[in-house]
Amino acid sequence: MKNQVTKYYPMLPVLAAYAALFLIGRNMSGMWQLVAMLLFYCALGQAFNIFLGMTGYVDFGYVAFMGVGTYGMALAISRLAHIEGLGAGIIVIGFVLAVLMSTMLSIAVGAVALRLRGAYFAIATIGVNEGFRFLIEGARIWNGSEGIIFTAQLNQILGREAASALATFWADLFVLIIAVAAALVTLIYMRSKIGYALTALREDEDAAKVMGINVTKFKIIAFITSASFAGLVGASSWALKTPYVFPPEVFEIHYTIEAIIIVLLGGAGTLLGPLVGGLIYGISKYYLSIFIPGFQLLIFAPIIIVIIVVFPEGVVGMLKAKTRNTAAGRFIV
Amino acid sequence: MKKTAIIALGFFLLAFVAGQAPAQAADSIDIGHPACLSGKYAKAGEQAVGGIKACVDWVNNEYGGVSLKGKKVPLKYTYYDCESNKESVTSLIGRLVTVDKVDVVFAPYSSGLTLRGAPVTEARGMLYMDHGGANNKIFQQGFRYVVQTIGPASSYHRGTLDMIHKIDPKAKRVALAYEDSEFAKMVMEGAEEHAKELGFEIVFKRTYPKGVTDMTPLLSAMKASRPDFVLGGGHFEDGQLFNRQMADLDIDTNAFSLIAAATLPAFYDALEYMAEGVMGPSHWEYGVKYSEQAAKSAGTTWIGPSQDEFVALFKKAAGKDMVPDYHAAEAGAQVLAYALAVEKAGSVASDKVRKALGDLQFMSFYGGWDVDDSGLQIGHTMVDVQWQDGERIIVWPESAQTGKVCYPMPTFAEKAKGKVAVP
Repeated sequence: MKNQVTKYYPMLPVLAAYAALFLIGRNMSGMWQLVAMLLFYCALGQAFNIFLGMTGYVDFGYVAFMGVGTYGMALAISRLAHIEGLGAGIIVIGFVLAVLMSTMLSIAVGAVALRLRGAYFAIATIGVNEGFRFLIEGARIWNGSEGIIFTAQLNQILGREAASALATFWADLFVLIIAVAAALVTLIYMRSKIGYALTALREDEDAAKVMGINVTKFKIIAFITSASFAGLVGASSWALKTPYVFPPEVFEIHYTIEAIIIVLLGGAGTLLGPLVGGLIYGISKYYLSIFIPGFQLLIFAPIIIVIIVVFPEGVVGMLKAKTRNTAAGRFIV
Repeated sequence: MKKTAIIALGFFLLAFVAGQAPAQAADSIDIGHPACLSGKYAKAGEQAVGGIKACVDWVNNEYGGVSLKGKKVPLKYTYYDCESNKESVTSLIGRLVTVDKVDVVFAPYSSGLTLRGAPVTEARGMLYMDHGGANNKIFQQGFRYVVQTIGPASSYHRGTLDMIHKIDPKAKRVALAYEDSEFAKMVMEGAEEHAKELGFEIVFKRTYPKGVTDMTPLLSAMKASRPDFVLGGGHFEDGQLFNRQMADLDIDTNAFSLIAAATLPAFYDALEYMAEGVMGPSHWEYGVKYSEQAAKSAGTTWIGPSQDEFVALFKKAAGKDMVPDYHAAEAGAQVLAYALAVEKAGSVASDKVRKALGDLQFMSFYGGWDVDDSGLQIGHTMVDVQWQDGERIIVWPESAQTGKVCYPMPTFAEKAKGKVAVP
């Protein structure tokens, strides 16, 4: 029993960090929107890490799952707004739809792309993102290129004050919950057969196969889990916080690049890594844009390079190595 | 290694704490702006910042500051770079409102980013002025504090239609062919509605996909509809292709107007004689004739620098010999609207200034300014530019024109033989 509990000790620093972020955001004037941005990057990293960190596969089409998740929420609100009595239940329907849609897309993509490896997998996934965007625009699905703007529907369903609170507070809180849930799922996987299988295939896929591991099955598990969380992040951080969806904005590859940087900065395959990476990335981005507006990228790029050079395994990877066989090491995985 | 980690941690803690130092309460009226200085809207963002700085300079140094409760109060402009990124827009607006304690927030460029910031400013009852979001739907969402300076997308071809209606009452058949994008479709809807109001017949209406490489099938179908004039476009690349293939297929019409592409010098450089007589709508062009005298004739208030003064102030603000475009002009005009509204309201309280903006009508170097109850810009008229002998001539509205329109434009065969579009 004690063993069952101690294996989840690494969640403590994660929970403490998210609780601290929440408290800072709520109690320090002007901090909530900054915290919201940090939570977005942490959640993005935490969700992406389940696939990139645990399998070593780089999915350049990751933002497509966030995009369809955003559409899931947008469609629920814009198409069901006329049904009386749904109230806040429409948000629940939106989340369910977001998970369903991102899961379905990940099954379709995974069934084909996960047969490929390395650079071939990466190239195939870039196509998914662009292809899905052009499908929506070209076939005029879900309002095509005009997108969906649904602030008015949210105001109608929830009332102006509640809709405003949803966009400026509750959406961010949902992101926090998603980030924590993604971290918990990561730890559960790490401590189970799934995690061992994923570690084996990450280190040497052929060897894992020879040892009798069904690598395709475990890759698909990680892929779908990661995609589902991406759908949830899109639904809350984009659809609820920004009540509109335009195809070019939700299928922007830039977000996949950001997710990769966050995971690598913090430490791929570690539990705390995406959190630390998200904080470093978000805080640097925010304050550099304040202190040297317009020139921040000139400073930001060298900072990232220095961190990667100094900590090739990521910041948490370094900490993990330093604290191995110490009391603190139990909390850093 | 440990030392490096401590230094890195120290840097982030310092940034976190130093960044939170609240701004000193200053004797000024503060404008906050999450500007797009990098990322995909960097070009428009740089222009907007230059335009705002130019007009803040004019208000503070030429106008003497904003008259408020018997005092002349200067404007102060605080901006950060949002990198054309959604997440940064909301976090920076949060900072501007609570840490810098600005009195008004100017929205970033584009409809999407404007919409992203709106819930944050609305929740705080903060005035949010839009100079780069042309989507009409922003103003159908029930926002109370969003006020537009840029003309709405639906009005882009209004002036072109008015002009043709006036100079050629016999022209009835209009063809609409636009890019399949959120912005272009909004323009097309507005053009269609206004064309019907004026009694035009829509004989052809179709969109083409982004990144189109061959418009021949669409243009052939359009030719068969025998339009008197054609309105369309989307971006530079497709606009150029549109015009080139119109020439290839010898589709001659009395007038041809393209959004986004035709007003750019690169359009004529690329197409040369084929661009002669082609028109394009623009929010503002250097050369417009809006002046204090024009404002008097129109019976409205004039405020702001003259066009040449604005250009000089813009160059000073930009720190380089850069010509302002419409992004700069509309952002600058927004400063003037805000200054006038604060004076009218006698307060910087957002609700009072919002009300004053609703009642405000004026003219500046940018043209007219007036908004409806939803905050949508209805007072600003787009100008129509026509390529005449390699020069961009403002042909509409009459109050802003630098030359007469060449109508009907020469045929492509005539243009190939060297005929230029001179009235």
